[in-house]
Amino acid sequence: MKIAETREVHKRLGRVEALRGVDMDVREGELLALLGPNGAGKTTLVSLLVGLRAPDRGEVRLNGRDPRDPAARRVLGVTPQGTGYPPSLRVREVVELVRAHYPDPLATRDVLERFGLGELAQRNVHALSGGQARRLAVALAFTGRPRLAVLDEPTTGLDVESRRELWREIERFKQGGGTVLLTTHYLEEAEALADRVVVIHKGRTLSEGTPESIKRRVGLRRVRLRAGALPELPGVERYEHEAERHTLWTTDADALVRQLVRHGVDFSDLEVLPVSLEEAFLALLDEEVTA
Amino acid sequence: MRLWLAHTKVELLALLRQPGFMIPTMVFPSMFFLMFAAPNLPTAVAANFSTASFMAFAVFTVTFFQFGVGIANERENPWSSYVRTLPAHPIYRNAAKVATAAVLALLAALVLVLASQQSTPMNLPLERWPRIFVALAAGGMMMGMLGTALAYLVSPKAALPLANLIYLPLAFMGGMWMPPELLPKVVQKVSPLLPSRQWMELVWPAVLGQAWEASHWLAVAAFTLVFALLAAWAQRRDPHVR
Repeated sequence: MKIAETREVHKRLGRVEALRGVDMDVREGELLALLGPNGAGKTTLVSLLVGLRAPDRGEVRLNGRDPRDPAARRVLGVTPQGTGYPPSLRVREVVELVRAHYPDPLATRDVLERFGLGELAQRNVHALSGGQARRLAVALAFTGRPRLAVLDEPTTGLDVESRRELWREIERFKQGGGTVLLTTHYLEEAEALADRVVVIHKGRTLSEGTPESIKRRVGLRRVRLRAGALPELPGVERYEHEAERHTLWTTDADALVRQLVRHGVDFSDLEVLPVSLEEAFLALLDEEVTA
Repeated sequence: MRLWLAHTKVELLALLRQPGFMIPTMVFPSMFFLMFAAPNLPTAVAANFSTASFMAFAVFTVTFFQFGVGIANERENPWSSYVRTLPAHPIYRNAAKVATAAVLALLAALVLVLASQQSTPMNLPLERWPRIFVALAAGGMMMGMLGTALAYLVSPKAALPLANLIYLPLAFMGGMWMPPELLPKVVQKVSPLLPSRQWMELVWPAVLGQAWEASHWLAVAAFTLVFALLAAWAQRRDPHVR
């Protein structure tokens, strides 16, 4: 059962072709992570699904209807973007405004307490810290007891602890039967939460699968070391070197290091570094071009 | 109804908590009146006429800026994008804006009446007020539409200076500050073509207890329609909305 879908969706924003034929299903009860580097088209795709924009071509469905129809959006809860709250409203008032739109919303107090905002009910929304503002944003997405919660980069800019707290609440919503569409550019977030991941890049669906399979493709590590000549090594996605300094990109750094040892390579200054998604995509695209 | 109330509450709260916007908007027309009009109003008839004209000016100020600059500022605001994802037809939010502007306009007009009572021999019989109210409301609606059109036609940054550029000449040439006979000759020629003047042609008979002429109602209705169509057209091509 699909709660939302896009078919061959195209959208041009000014001069940029933000989406170039995206197909995506969101299935009832799953947590789907939409993963991609900045500028990939995630936010544009989401804006179509939540009824903010119309596609130039293709079709978007939310609960079987056009998401621009307000009635279709009764199943939907969305996080506001960034910290753009209205001027001079208090936390409680913002929650109450959102509650007024749904037939059976959570009680204001429950919303606030669940997201650690109980003490801040009377606080002006503009006086919230970055982390508090993000928590309120996620809280608002869940306030109307939606069937589909769309969380646009819910944990961007949060510290590890706040991020984990939010993850717990997202999990809890899912346990209750809710569906989540999450955009993120943190691979680890997709890994921790998602049942399924759709990777988009430059307005296209690049790949789709379980977090594990995506991680195998884009979860690269960068291994740096100093050594003489290197033997032929398996599992290297990309390789660069400058005199004795070698840099190798691989999805399995452990295996690579074992191989180095097995080949008796006399290496020093070994470092294993995480790779940003942006870099991983570059490597992935290189691979596709050469393949 | 519940949604309309919820949105109206939010709009009003936002205004009340930003007295820096609300108070000047409400007080400015009265201050203008006290400085430039009130000292030269020896008779009740002149005072009535001028008070009603400035009430229209007060309503104009509120509706035009509330919609013009207010909506322009919202266009780029992520919060208004968020609110559009909530399951409500935009009509509730728009109705809330109209209600808020109406409250504010009413208050601004009231401040003006109080200022006039203290400073001029104004003496308006009670039975004239309903027609004055109707005339003010009609013009307020027209100017609200003009403001909305402006808000979507120009970039958010340009909205405020442009609004000022349109608003002051419209008020002056429309006869809100002085009777049309006292306007410069050139302006007298242009004046009847302006929406503000057509509006005043509804306000003045209401003050003087004379009958309305249908042509002025038609003109105000036509201007309102044109501004509404312009606003709808401009909104449709707004990249922030599309």
